[in-house]
Amino acid sequence: MKKRHQHKMIIISIILLMGFNLPIVLLFDSSQNLWGFPIIYIYLFSISTISTLFSFLIVKIYNE
Amino acid sequence: MNSIALLLILSCYLAILFFIAHWAEKKENNKWTNNPYIYTLSLAVYCTAWTYYGSVGVAADSGLSYLPIYLGPIIIAPSWILILKKIIRISKVNKISSIADFISLRYGNSRFLGAIVTIICLSGILPYIALQLKAISETFHVVTKTPIRSYLFEDTTTYVSVALALFASYYGTRYVDASEKRKGIVTAVAMESILKLVFFVIIGMYVTFFVFDGFDDIYQKASLLEHFKEKNTIGGLPQAINWFLLCLLSMFAIFLLPRQFQVSVIENNREKHINTAVWLFPLYLLIFNIFVYPIAWGGNILFEGKNVNSDTYSLLIPQLFEEKTLTVIVFLGGFSAAISMIIVSSIGLSTMITNNILIPYNLLGKLKSAETISNRTILNSRKIGIFSLIILAYFIYRYFGLDYNLVSIGMVAFVIIAQLAPAFFGALFWRRGSRLGAVYSIIIGFVICIYTLLIPYTIGLSNSNNHFISEGLLGIHLLKPFQLFGLDYLQPIPHALFWSLFFNAITYISVSVSFKGNYRERNYAEMFVDINKYITNHEDAFVWKGTAYRNDIEKVLIRFLGIERTKRAMNIFNIKYNVDNNIELADARLIKFSENLLTGHIGTASARILISSVVKEEKITLPEVLKILEESKENIIINKKLTETSKELKEISAKLHNANESLMKKDQQKDEFLDTVTHELRTPITAIRAASEILHDDDEIPDDLKKQFLQNIISESDRLNRLIDKILDLEKFETGKQIIHPDKYNLVKTIEKSIDPLQQLIKNKNVTVHIESKNKINAYFDEDRIVQVVTNLISNALKFCPEKDGLITIKIVEKDNFIHTFVQDNGKGINPNDFENIFDKFYQSTNQNIKKPVGSGLGLAICKQIIEHHNGKIWVQNSIKGACIVFTLPKKKNIKTFENEKNINS
Repeated sequence: MKKRHQHKMIIISIILLMGFNLPIVLLFDSSQNLWGFPIIYIYLFSISTISTLFSFLIVKIYNE
Repeated sequence: MNSIALLLILSCYLAILFFIAHWAEKKENNKWTNNPYIYTLSLAVYCTAWTYYGSVGVAADSGLSYLPIYLGPIIIAPSWILILKKIIRISKVNKISSIADFISLRYGNSRFLGAIVTIICLSGILPYIALQLKAISETFHVVTKTPIRSYLFEDTTTYVSVALALFASYYGTRYVDASEKRKGIVTAVAMESILKLVFFVIIGMYVTFFVFDGFDDIYQKASLLEHFKEKNTIGGLPQAINWFLLCLLSMFAIFLLPRQFQVSVIENNREKHINTAVWLFPLYLLIFNIFVYPIAWGGNILFEGKNVNSDTYSLLIPQLFEEKTLTVIVFLGGFSAAISMIIVSSIGLSTMITNNILIPYNLLGKLKSAETISNRTILNSRKIGIFSLIILAYFIYRYFGLDYNLVSIGMVAFVIIAQLAPAFFGALFWRRGSRLGAVYSIIIGFVICIYTLLIPYTIGLSNSNNHFISEGLLGIHLLKPFQLFGLDYLQPIPHALFWSLFFNAITYISVSVSFKGNYRERNYAEMFVDINKYITNHEDAFVWKGTAYRNDIEKVLIRFLGIERTKRAMNIFNIKYNVDNNIELADARLIKFSENLLTGHIGTASARILISSVVKEEKITLPEVLKILEESKENIIINKKLTETSKELKEISAKLHNANESLMKKDQQKDEFLDTVTHELRTPITAIRAASEILHDDDEIPDDLKKQFLQNIISESDRLNRLIDKILDLEKFETGKQIIHPDKYNLVKTIEKSIDPLQQLIKNKNVTVHIESKNKINAYFDEDRIVQVVTNLISNALKFCPEKDGLITIKIVEKDNFIHTFVQDNGKGINPNDFENIFDKFYQSTNQNIKKPVGSGLGLAICKQIIEHHNGKIWVQNSIKGACIVFTLPKKKNIKTFENEKNINS
């Protein structure tokens, strides 16, 4: 994988670090119901799912 | 459930595990054991009994704070593609077998640093292993509904511990070289990772969809319980800071925990397996965590007001509904989670203890003096190490109570291991980080951990009456272990992490920049930070000056590796660096190469000490090292450029060689052609001259004879003329002076026209000419020229037709944009070796010695030129009997050459 695409993965890590921590995580800090889960769970799980999907795609597309 | 029945199930389960490990160990390079999925699943050794039971307990009792432990790895996983790859590369080239080796090697092969790292790991992980045994014991008694036995031999955990100790010490020490891969263990761990996930998902689904009516139902009922809101939100800024520190903690843990280092770095077979781990591992953690919330809150709803341990909800819920099978399945999942952690951790720790404490501080003296070293000594020390670690952990569990829940002890272990972070990440990215900085930072961090975590935990968290905890050391409030320097809004774990890492990192940086490291540290710093440059020839980057004899080094190697392996290794070295086997003196590369060979067996520090004992090293100053490194860097760049240039030169020289060969061939052909032409020209000239001389010298020749001679002169002059015409013709074609005038003609008619003048000859030769074609096939050509071609081809065919039943077949076929004309005779045919040369103008001359040429030898060459000027092609085709020459002509104007069109179509 080229350096450029490896850096994309580092960017995912940085975005996750920002997204999972203050102040952003506090924006979703609620126990309100969404699909049977408190909103905070849904936020954390969906961000994890999206990032995993992106990692998967980057690795599959740019793997040499 | 009956204890004996459960024990039987456990025995069967362990037997299957032994079998899997045994099977995987036997299979060499099997795709079932060596693939990215097994690698990723083995990383899931991160999820211990703490994940399996503890997360549920935390989610039920205190809320979200279990999540950061999984968010950290999810955050850092994508960047593994760069960071983990780098760690793996460094470890592979240096044959590193543990995190203690990794850190001590980077800081100049420091024996002391290796020992400190080992002690840190041991103090963090041993209680953690004890915790897993506790989980097994507690859950066993929950499932069997029996009280915990105080008598040692009545406690089932005793037997489980012994079985695990035997398993781990047998399969964990198959090779003396600790950097070798343990396929058996890794496959068994991966297998267990699947089981624990599947079993946890099963219980999650059971609670969500069978006990309750989906997630919504759980939410509706749980939201009525007390503290639901507080337990399902982070809560505020201070809590968010706690949250951040816990994320940071788990990000470090995924790299630094000895078991993680073992599976992700040491047991990595191929770098590219990381590409799968970066997405599959976060996915694994995600799936695991989805069902923590429903089980925890399902349990809270079902056991509201009852005094039960929330850690065991996943067992108690199916038990409540009398689902025996499900209970056992859940128990087996938890058991798997616990034993994989115990096995991998004990293997990693045992390697560290033997390679970084036992051998360098104790056994090394014996190893140095002993003439022959039995690898069995090293292996046995590791076996005993693994066995005693598990047994020691068992005793910690038995006699130190471990009153805390699963999560808190796990967290303490994480904080202790996190003290390696500054030295570890500094090793990867910072050249200036020094040994002194690393040693002091780890010690200071550890001391703060002892003060802020270990002492208060030993006294007892709940013991708020304790003077030390409530008032601080010597009654100084600023020294309260849980509110050090008045920092009171952090929970104990993040609090300890913050202060310990703060002082740890400050010490590491300030000591590193204040005191110069020695040349060896700087040398390894360069190799670690710039590993990508040195990955192929890392021995080149090792700076060493002194006197060493190959023989002495070989003797040391033979004692550990045996004669055969040493010889093989030396051969590999000689081939890799193009070194003559007879050279007596060893250079820096051989020293590094030999150290690497020993590292896997006895650790980096001991390898260095052993090799140093047989060589005489001269001290080098730091600037000298830097200069050499700079030069070696330049050399590497120059080498790279040279390799590229030499590759280009090779290609050019190959092209030149081909061109030269073709020129030589052409030159030879030209000479042969000149010979032929001269010969051909001389024949008629000789005849003319002979006839003219006779006529000149003898006036009395009869008129008849005179006429005959004059006739000869005329016919030979004609022949000479024709020959010169042909040569000029060819010359015109070749120099491009010849212009053709193509137009639309009926090719069949043209061929018939060509045959007409030859009818008499055909008749004389008794040959039949047959045309296979439609009446009219139009093509685009210069008629005179094609008549020339056809005449030539038929004349040639006539020459080679047998005297009896000669047959010439002309077949005309339309194909795409071209008309193919086949001229086939039933003569003796053409040798396939001549297929390519037959159209060369000199072709006949190569046959000259065999037979007298018939014709000028230029006919086919001219044909080729004519056809190619029409954008067609002429070639010889394989034929069963006789020769078959094919030429193509375009159907229309402006059609690309036949070759180009064929390429486009294909």
